[in-house]
Amino acid sequence: MFSAYSGPILELDRVSFRYPGAGRIIDDLTFAIGGGEFIGLLGANGSGKSTILKLAAGMVRPDRGIVKLWDRPLAAYRNKDRAKLLCYFPQHLDVSVPFTVREIVGMGMYPYDIPPAMAVDEAMDTVGLLDKADVYVTNLSGGERRRVFIAMTLIQGAGILLLDEPLANLDIRYQIEFLRLLRRLQEQKGISVVMALHDINVALQFEKVMVIKNGAVLGIGAPEAVLTGPMIRDAFDVSIELRKAEHGMYITHEKWF
Amino acid sequence: MHKVRITLFLLMAAAILVLALIAGPRMINPLAMSATEREILLSIRLPRVAVALLMGMALGASGAILQGVLRNPLADPYILGISSGASLAAALGLLSGFYVFGRSSVPVSAFIGASLVSVLVGAFGWKRGGLWPERLLLAGIGLNFLFSAVLMLLMSLSSDEGLRRAVLWMFGDLSMADWTLIPSASIFIVIGLGIALFRSKALNALILGDEFAYSLGFAVQRERLILFAAMALMTSASVSLGGTIGFIGLLMPHIVRLLLGADSRLLVPASAIAGGAFLCFADLVGRSLMPPLELPSGTVTAVIGAPYFLYLLRKKDVLGV
Amino acid sequence: MKKLFIILSLVVGMSYSVSAAEPALLPTRIISLSPATTEILFALGAGDRIIGVTSFCDHPEEAKKKQKIGGLSNPSLEAIVALKPDLVVMTTDGNPQEVDERLRTMGLRTYVWTARKLAELPDGIRGLATAIGVSAQGERMAGEIEKSINRTRYKVQSTKKMNVLYIVWPEPLLVAGPGTAIDDAIRLLGHVNVSAKAKTSYPRYSIEELIREAPEVVFIGKGSGMDMQAVSQGILKKLATVPAVRNNKVCYVSDSLYRLGPRVVQGIEELAACIK
Repeated sequence: MFSAYSGPILELDRVSFRYPGAGRIIDDLTFAIGGGEFIGLLGANGSGKSTILKLAAGMVRPDRGIVKLWDRPLAAYRNKDRAKLLCYFPQHLDVSVPFTVREIVGMGMYPYDIPPAMAVDEAMDTVGLLDKADVYVTNLSGGERRRVFIAMTLIQGAGILLLDEPLANLDIRYQIEFLRLLRRLQEQKGISVVMALHDINVALQFEKVMVIKNGAVLGIGAPEAVLTGPMIRDAFDVSIELRKAEHGMYITHEKWF
Repeated sequence: MHKVRITLFLLMAAAILVLALIAGPRMINPLAMSATEREILLSIRLPRVAVALLMGMALGASGAILQGVLRNPLADPYILGISSGASLAAALGLLSGFYVFGRSSVPVSAFIGASLVSVLVGAFGWKRGGLWPERLLLAGIGLNFLFSAVLMLLMSLSSDEGLRRAVLWMFGDLSMADWTLIPSASIFIVIGLGIALFRSKALNALILGDEFAYSLGFAVQRERLILFAAMALMTSASVSLGGTIGFIGLLMPHIVRLLLGADSRLLVPASAIAGGAFLCFADLVGRSLMPPLELPSGTVTAVIGAPYFLYLLRKKDVLGV
Repeated sequence: MKKLFIILSLVVGMSYSVSAAEPALLPTRIISLSPATTEILFALGAGDRIIGVTSFCDHPEEAKKKQKIGGLSNPSLEAIVALKPDLVVMTTDGNPQEVDERLRTMGLRTYVWTARKLAELPDGIRGLATAIGVSAQGERMAGEIEKSINRTRYKVQSTKKMNVLYIVWPEPLLVAGPGTAIDDAIRLLGHVNVSAKAKTSYPRYSIEELIREAPEVVFIGKGSGMDMQAVSQGILKKLATVPAVRNNKVCYVSDSLYRLGPRVVQGIEELAACIK
């Protein structure tokens, strides 16, 4: 549905922001996200990537500049309308209340007055949790819990998912599982995925990477092009070279110690 | 299956209500009443049960709301200092002989006290344009300590009579319940409940966390403020009706969650009903155990509630830990 | 059809008459809501007309056998109404005001005892006696008390004023302050109650302050069923330096002065005997 449109869906135009009491954290930032993109926001801890995501989601208002969604100022949208277009996925999933999977996925209907396009069962099935529909989320693994919320965003029908380090604290199996799910959603439904991460290895899986340092974009592009030695040194203050192998790339170096 | 549980739940609540009217300490058969018994039923038991019902409903719903808003399963309307603030205001009223509202002076001062504390808690919990759960909790606990201390100071300085009356008021006294306060209290409680019911979806979303609530399209700070105000309104009304009666706000949401699930659309009204039934039951027990001595309902709820709460803690699903 | 109508109107008429009964001039079903008024009622000879008392009414012995309707500050409305009294005697010294209002709203007759000081006792007795229809008895009782008070006042005109302390309970230390019958008795006997400066009737007094006041006589009132000498050991040790303890002027007295009732005369005599 969205992949036919080729213009930017979400734009940050000369956005500046700082938290009260901090130095200037984001300064004059401009970038755009189109339909069906799969972007990794790579940066060290404290580089500003979480803030950028929050600005993009509209959770914080920029001091200067403007954020636009479908070419309209994000601030102009009513909350419910925005919720049908854009979803924000926090890093910490802190649900200690015994909601069932079905109940949480069902909350994706909240922005709607009339039932949305996708049914709850279909959403649960898409993420592979239909058989656990009535299980309490508190009894699920971390990876499964994240999938529950992805199903929720599917019901919301959002075309953009902004995720803040969703792979943190996940075992590699679940990291791969989760990425594969997101990839599938991008390919089959044209959903744009923007994910903040600080693991270079994971960034290599993305088709487009934005390297962030001190709230500014150091480079955008395909990982092999962007993640040069100098770039990594600049962004992460470490000397590592990427070397290309037969079927992809991997980080290598002389041994770390 | 759910429908069956809900029906059973409602039936049980109704049964307790009827029992509270008819039973203890003396059984009254409504089909064969003497004039005295009718007098007792209408003038003493009926208002008493009505007050217990209203208070229980207010506290049960408030507990459900607060546990969601603060994302804390141990939240109870009184944890935020509302009860000690109300007790302080009531004690001040009692000891200073405040009589502007006649017989309703103490309840009115309690209401004012409770409302003021709620505003204070909100003010301290406010930062950068919004209410924050952690700040609210800490502010409430801090204010609770403060008011309790001032109250104890006041009590140690006061005369025996004033002291006795203040203490009795705080214990939760339903024995003198009459119709005077019920209309105004009902209005506040109904308004609070109504607000909460209409905003159940927002409450559900808030439980998921501020980010998800935002992502789902809710104005997070506004919803939190509205729900907090509804809770404060109901709790203030409850405290003005019959003093401070604990454990209902804490316990009822947990019980209802175990029986009927965590969805606020069901949890809030069911906690209200459970609270009303429970307090009617506690009041019944309090006045029937050692007649004519009447145990304060607050004591009974604590004696029943505390052990049961500890028992609940042993069940894993309650806290998700 | 006609028969049914007659029966119906009879039933309706009877139920009306039951609820619209006029207050009896001589109450025969009296409930007393305080130990003091219970004692006075018994002393006025109305004991057999009492149908309900509080659980604290333990004087005289017969009072203990009466039906209980609750405590002093929390009597049970239901229990009171169920006994169908024609007079409920209450006091401003301990009963909640709401009880009086509720009972009257329900059409029950109440009498509120307001006397708090010794000097008000005789008139208080007269008032209560009239309310229950035994004015003559009341006059007699009140007269005797007045005579006794006047006699005492006359006798003590020439005695030296002494500092007196009345301990109600040793630990925590509770003393008889202003506004109590005990304080009235002490002043009647021409002495000074060292704790008269306190703000409340039964204050928790500072021991330091008491030592500075140097009471010359110390009374220790009887607690219920306790060996007062044993429990007072501690406090007397602390007060070892005051004149009363040094000169062995410590007396254990009964609780006759705890209630403003018929036993006050006895209580005053007890105090007087000790001081001599």
